[in-house]
Amino acid sequence: MSDLVSGDGRTHIQSRLMRESLQDRRVLSKTVSERDLQIFPDVSLVSIGGQSIFDRGKDAILPLVDELVAIKRDLDEKIVIGVGGGTRVRHTISIAVDLGLPVGGMAQLVGAMEELNAILLNTLLAPHGSMPMQRDHFWDLPLYFDAGITPIAISVPPYHFWEPPPDEGHLPMHGSDFGLFQLAEVLGMKQVIYVKDEDGLYDKDPKRHPDAKLIPRITLPELLASFPEENILDQELFHAWSSATNLRRIVIVNGLVRGQLTAALRGEDVGTVITKPEAS
Amino acid sequence: MSAERRTLESTLSRSNLTGPGDKYEYRPTAVMPDVKVVKIGGQSILDRGRAALFPILDEIVEARRTYGVQVVLLTGGGTRARHIYSIASELEVPTGVVATLGKYIPMQNARMLQMLLAKHGGLYILPDDFEKLPLYMQMGCIPIMSGMPPFGYWEKREEGSRIPPHRTDAGVFLSAEFLGSRRAIYIKDEDGLYTDDPKKNPAATHIPRITAKELQDKGLPDLVVERVVVEYVQRSQWCKELQILNGLVPGQVLAALRGEDVGTIITG
Repeated sequence: MSDLVSGDGRTHIQSRLMRESLQDRRVLSKTVSERDLQIFPDVSLVSIGGQSIFDRGKDAILPLVDELVAIKRDLDEKIVIGVGGGTRVRHTISIAVDLGLPVGGMAQLVGAMEELNAILLNTLLAPHGSMPMQRDHFWDLPLYFDAGITPIAISVPPYHFWEPPPDEGHLPMHGSDFGLFQLAEVLGMKQVIYVKDEDGLYDKDPKRHPDAKLIPRITLPELLASFPEENILDQELFHAWSSATNLRRIVIVNGLVRGQLTAALRGEDVGTVITKPEAS
Repeated sequence: MSAERRTLESTLSRSNLTGPGDKYEYRPTAVMPDVKVVKIGGQSILDRGRAALFPILDEIVEARRTYGVQVVLLTGGGTRARHIYSIASELEVPTGVVATLGKYIPMQNARMLQMLLAKHGGLYILPDDFEKLPLYMQMGCIPIMSGMPPFGYWEKREEGSRIPPHRTDAGVFLSAEFLGSRRAIYIKDEDGLYTDDPKKNPAATHIPRITAKELQDKGLPDLVVERVVVEYVQRSQWCKELQILNGLVPGQVLAALRGEDVGTIITG
């Protein structure tokens, strides 16, 4: 039984946080523990790039769809798929910047562009068993997996009009790379695999610098210590990952090379493997 | 590799949008700068019930009816939010789940306010109704919504806490910032900022005006408003002031809605 407590003009319910200020660091620290409940630890999240894959059209998309179908048939791996929006997102934001729309307005707009790619992908995968998943219908996931249906998740996080002012500049900080990372983090998933059009993470953009070097394996603290200026993934993702507790492994693979995604799902070290060591 | 990226030419078409460094001109447009975004505190006001709430609502209705002030009300959570946060923390559920749980109580509170204000045009709205605000304002309504921003499962974990850093104070600030409103107004049960928690330390003194930076530099273990808001107000485009006032003192709410500096003003 809960007890109601009054006497100061307010009616409280008895709890450890009763009457406390939730801004008080001393109070907040009592809510932390070393671990988080991990909800779906045997699931991998596969993120398919917008610019890198979808904007290339049929020649890049169809082979990857074939590979996803083969993975579904041959591997006993639970996956959730998400997609990026690509060049249409950049176009949207360019126009929005010119119009002077608030950052929250930009954040509200961009999700639609990603959704187009999600619908396209589902159109191709549906005959093999896939379904777009509603925004936060995570509790349906066991049903999807039992039924052999691959869910396609919404990748842009629902910050919408409430997108916080960015650290620098005027563009929203929470894009699809971050959104899918956060989905995997909050659900305690095994890994996120970002499917791009490069063999992984380089010390600089390999499209502009022929001498760029591939980083096959790195830890998150090492990466943050020497962060490449041009990165294939959202910077915000790495900030969020460093204060997160669940996710241990992010892999970046080349979706234009058949077999890399399959290998990553098998747990092999392909592309770039970024790991986060257990809390030290 | 025959498949080339097919790119739409635009200012940012070659940007990877992964961080700063892009060059572009930005001249911001305010969406609804005349709207006052007002928070009704959960623990501080709503948990006090009728005695505290009714006089505040009277002043809000007066501001709307007599002075034509455009008001959007956002609600806090209060003790029921603390109760569910406390149990969720024991169960070690991730912050994103805690943030999702945190949505429900401010929603209840918003619905309570709607029932009380219905006869004066009180309208319960959801984040998705935000684009209909111009209509509601023109009709003379008082839209009421939960103060919790819609981040939910996508709320990031913060070092040293399992409680979501963006709660209803953040939702109020971010709503004001999006709308292009200069000041976010927080109705609480204290006259704003003190040198210490006046409920626990009677020697605490009132601070009428302070910059967010000064406040941050004090390095206080506790704050009257969520930490993220004190951080954001320093780099916002429009919302440059946070006003925290005591709704238990008659006249304060009306004065604040008419633009007077009552309570504490924290400037960005």
